[in-house]
Amino acid sequence: MQVYTLPNGKSVKKPFNRFWIVVPMFIALCVAMAFVIPIDWSNVNFSELVVILRKMFTPKGTRTWGDYFGFMLTLGDEVADTLQMTFAGTLIGCVLAVPVAIISSSNIVKAKWLSMPVKFFLNIMRTIPTLMWTALAVALVGFGILPGIAAIALFSFGIMGKMLYEAIETVDMSPFEALESVGANKVGAFRYSVFTQIAPIYISYTIYIFEINIRASAMLGYVGAGGLGSVIKDNVLYNYDRVGATIIVMFALVLVIQLLSNFVRRKLQ
Amino acid sequence: MNEHVQTVFNKRPRTWIANIILTVIIVGLLIYSFVGSEINLISLAQAGTKFNTMINEIVDINWGYFFGYGEGASFDDGIVFKMLETIAMTLFGTLIGAILALPFGFLASVNVVGKRWAKVGETILVLIRVFPELILAFILVKGLGMTPLTVIFTIGIHSIGMLGKLFAESIDNMDRSSLEALDSVGANVWQKVRYGILPNIMPELTSVTLYRFDINLRSATIFGLVGAGGIGLPLSLALTNTADPAWEMAGTVLLAIVIMVLFVDYLSGYLRKKLV
Repeated sequence: MQVYTLPNGKSVKKPFNRFWIVVPMFIALCVAMAFVIPIDWSNVNFSELVVILRKMFTPKGTRTWGDYFGFMLTLGDEVADTLQMTFAGTLIGCVLAVPVAIISSSNIVKAKWLSMPVKFFLNIMRTIPTLMWTALAVALVGFGILPGIAAIALFSFGIMGKMLYEAIETVDMSPFEALESVGANKVGAFRYSVFTQIAPIYISYTIYIFEINIRASAMLGYVGAGGLGSVIKDNVLYNYDRVGATIIVMFALVLVIQLLSNFVRRKLQ
Repeated sequence: MNEHVQTVFNKRPRTWIANIILTVIIVGLLIYSFVGSEINLISLAQAGTKFNTMINEIVDINWGYFFGYGEGASFDDGIVFKMLETIAMTLFGTLIGAILALPFGFLASVNVVGKRWAKVGETILVLIRVFPELILAFILVKGLGMTPLTVIFTIGIHSIGMLGKLFAESIDNMDRSSLEALDSVGANVWQKVRYGILPNIMPELTSVTLYRFDINLRSATIFGLVGAGGIGLPLSLALTNTADPAWEMAGTVLLAIVIMVLFVDYLSGYLRKKLV
């Protein structure tokens, strides 16, 4: 380690740069991981990708551009299905998350033996993505929008539970104590102190989760739930142009919802 | 005094009418959402019996399958290897995403390119961010086939959206006083980048990238369900036969996913706490 002596007599040590430990370690990790997934570059064919993109985003064979865009207009039902699925799932999940979030907030429920397991349960719920819940729900109840609703509800439940208990834990508790000191019971004190602080955050989170869910739900039909994804699943073997048209509709839907959600959330603040 | 309180109390905003109208609308929409879902008692009863079998079989973890040992099985067939594969793909995908996000971050930063170009860069980043990653995976899997490369590219391209935005923010929010200090002692451009900009934004960039790694690992688990590789593939294979799904296989994969995601979540949280 280098030691410098300054003109005023003080000696300064050059701080050790962790860069020279972290970077070789990272490179070693990358090399090790490269052995896990050997990539056969001779099989990788980027021209195939161009072919597929052309198949998806131009009309097939004798069809015209009119047919291509006309097909998009016939997707109204599927768009409605996707929206219904997302709406119902988000609402159910977010409502069910409220009591669980309250139980797991350490400032409301002082009993650690109760809040810790619930928190852990919410953590586990969040590790499983919507699409995986859908695959499980489809295997359980069959095709349709019902497994989609269930999957979205389960995912929303996990993420809302976590976000909400974190919000409740950072709430200002002095109004709660003030209300208790003037004789309000716990429920009343909660209603007029914590609830009023949490309500706008809760609504904003719900809209945010709806927005995440709409992005995920576009593809849920591909594993057997309803909505736009099922159109892709039905056409994936023979009609690539229809798949492409559906993808454009999906993207438009997601974009519109995103802009709307941004707008509403900005208004709420 | 009490009368004054009473008058103020009587003047409180009447929100209950709006609340009732809103509730009716939301409940109405909720009921409408279930109209097309074709719920009937027969299918629910069937689901009930299936649910019983599921609960019984899903906890029956197949450890031979999990670790990849047993008759005729090698480590490559096991779920642990699939987990490693998923982590490896996420690692390279995030790395590519972070490298590609740097130029995009500069393009979207007001400090570097000015207001007008920053708007363009930001719009590109929003479009990348909004495009559903599963659709990207689906398109790439049709073009490139079922190679790890598909997942790596999907993760890489999709990560640009969020990473670019956060990079731009950290460049814009940078403390500029160290740059002025370096100017005052006569540093050249390279020295300014090396000692002024990099040490300033590096911890934040690393932290953001680690966070993104965490998110990417969660999404890497589902790419298998649309035909790309990773740990989702054995799950979708286990559930292919909808009449009699292989629940114990699905349970094994789910356990692996929960362990992997929780572990990486904890690790990335720990490293990020160390960085800041």
